[in-house]
Amino acid sequence: MVRLFVMLGLTVLLAAAGCREEGGADGVELPEEGAITGPNTPTPYALEVPAYLPAPVVDAENPMSVEGVNLGRRIFYDTDILSTDGTMSCASCHKQELAFTDGLNRSLGIRRLEGNRSAMSLVNLAFNPNGFNWDGDAPKLWKQAIHPVEDMLELDNDWEEVLRKLREDADYPARFRAAFGIDTKEEITQELTIKALAQFERTIISANSKFDRVVYQNTDFFTEEEQLGADSLFFVENLAPGVLHPGCGHCHNAPGFGDNKFHNNGIEDVASLDDFPDPGLGGVTGNRFDNGKFRTPTLRNIALTAPYMHDGRFKTLEEVLDHYASGGHNLENEDPNITGFTLTERQKRALLAFLHTLTDESLLTDERFSAPE
Amino acid sequence: MKHLLLPLLLLLALTACRDDDDVDMPLTETDLTLDFRAEYDGAPLGIQRDAYAYPTGDTLKVLLFQYYVSDLELLPRNGAAPVRLTDIDLLRWMSASDSAMQTRTFRVPEGDYAGLRFGLGVKPELNAQDPSAFPADYVLNEAEFWGPTTRYVFAKIEANADLESDGLYDTGLTYHMGSDSLYTTVEFNQPFSVRAGQTPQLTVVADVLRALSDGSDTFDITNPQQQAVHGGNQAVALDIWNRLAGQFRLEVQQ
Repeated sequence: MVRLFVMLGLTVLLAAAGCREEGGADGVELPEEGAITGPNTPTPYALEVPAYLPAPVVDAENPMSVEGVNLGRRIFYDTDILSTDGTMSCASCHKQELAFTDGLNRSLGIRRLEGNRSAMSLVNLAFNPNGFNWDGDAPKLWKQAIHPVEDMLELDNDWEEVLRKLREDADYPARFRAAFGIDTKEEITQELTIKALAQFERTIISANSKFDRVVYQNTDFFTEEEQLGADSLFFVENLAPGVLHPGCGHCHNAPGFGDNKFHNNGIEDVASLDDFPDPGLGGVTGNRFDNGKFRTPTLRNIALTAPYMHDGRFKTLEEVLDHYASGGHNLENEDPNITGFTLTERQKRALLAFLHTLTDESLLTDERFSAPE
Repeated sequence: MKHLLLPLLLLLALTACRDDDDVDMPLTETDLTLDFRAEYDGAPLGIQRDAYAYPTGDTLKVLLFQYYVSDLELLPRNGAAPVRLTDIDLLRWMSASDSAMQTRTFRVPEGDYAGLRFGLGVKPELNAQDPSAFPADYVLNEAEFWGPTTRYVFAKIEANADLESDGLYDTGLTYHMGSDSLYTTVEFNQPFSVRAGQTPQLTVVADVLRALSDGSDTFDITNPQQQAVHGGNQAVALDIWNRLAGQFRLEVQQ
């Protein structure tokens, strides 16, 4: 009998303990502190890629969603969030009208001080499998955005401050929940922020230049001069023995017009591998034989992205062509395809004309890439 | 009903006993690693970091060595169909940080093999493809093609040479080769057996020097007419290509 009472008592106790109060004192459900409400199921985003471009690199760590892209686009243009003084955003150095560059030899940060390098174009990053930035220091696109926010010569902010602003904002928490399915503001992290930025950047695809219309879409024609530039110096295949110029296409092949590799392209006249003012890839790998090597940039929209090279040393495309025609500086890790070659004025005009066919005018006003309302 | 249970169980047990020699038994598979080693004159290739003597009396530093292999296959000793390891792969040495050895691992059936073979280059059916048909991070989309609408560069050797003995590696050498007519099958008839826990060590060795010089026949890198061999002048490239295709070795350590 005693055992029966004990069992009964325990059962009642358990039942009472199991009755969790679901509401507050007045029985109304209280939201968890920092809870976010609203939709939390991201909609998969399908990148629109023309058939003449390869399938983009898939980043399983950052699947794209409509909500993620929209969030990234908003942050990309938001000066209040990313910079210390609220004056700059990603778009300050990556302007749509300049094919997402800034027209400066070295980008200016919030203190109007020059950064170390020129702003790279952001087009067609979805096709790069091999390290981002001029020196390849970011293995993933979404990791690329960490440093510019913190760099004193760029946005000079603190990620904790960025996250505080995002969490306290009236709009962003619901957008993060929609993009990543999170439940609380505390779950808004640096990683989710940069992943959203990368999702937006991956959508910036440039593939509607005159070159595309002539070669792939079959809706346009090169002028005689443009055709000469393409045939005589750019896509050179039938190279006669002894002719040194290998063709720009060796490193800038279509359809990407870059090779996603790193080269010493002979622009620096230094005494040894240890004397480069900017080691480029070597600064990342720690290998002196990589010093002076930089990512091959895409030539898509090249007429809009002056000045040129990682430090903007060449103001015009003419200067760039003159450099390559003069050959490099014969350093031992210089790409051996930099040979120097004869470039007549007629050839130079033709090559410039061809390079201008790589401009994608539709990119410059495409509302999908513009500042959100 | 109860009386049927025992015979049924017995029948089930008997049908479960399959003969080990049944021909439709699934083959037992195991991991096989295949190494590709790049050399210069018999020593592991050191991209950029090592200076190499060339038979013309000059010195060079290799900056790039790469080649495609197609239809890499093991050849069963019993004459059965070859075991395909991969349709296409690109072996590339381009960084001073690169090890001379690159390793691939394949899942293969246990068994006895008579050798190994591959096609040097991109096989014609793939060579006819548009690179954009492949994802941006696939080996056939590594910008290793001649032009936007043409075919692949099967192999590249690039170096900077010191031809004046002044310590300056200031003469670029770029040998790019590839066309359907150059595609060559390389076959090794060296038997080995693959068993779980007893897989052989297989190494495909390619020697950059032997692709340029076989001792008696040396490609003249001092000739300005032969320092940049690309695209259209594949007749010059043929000289290097034939040596390249002929110098591969397979090392087998059972």
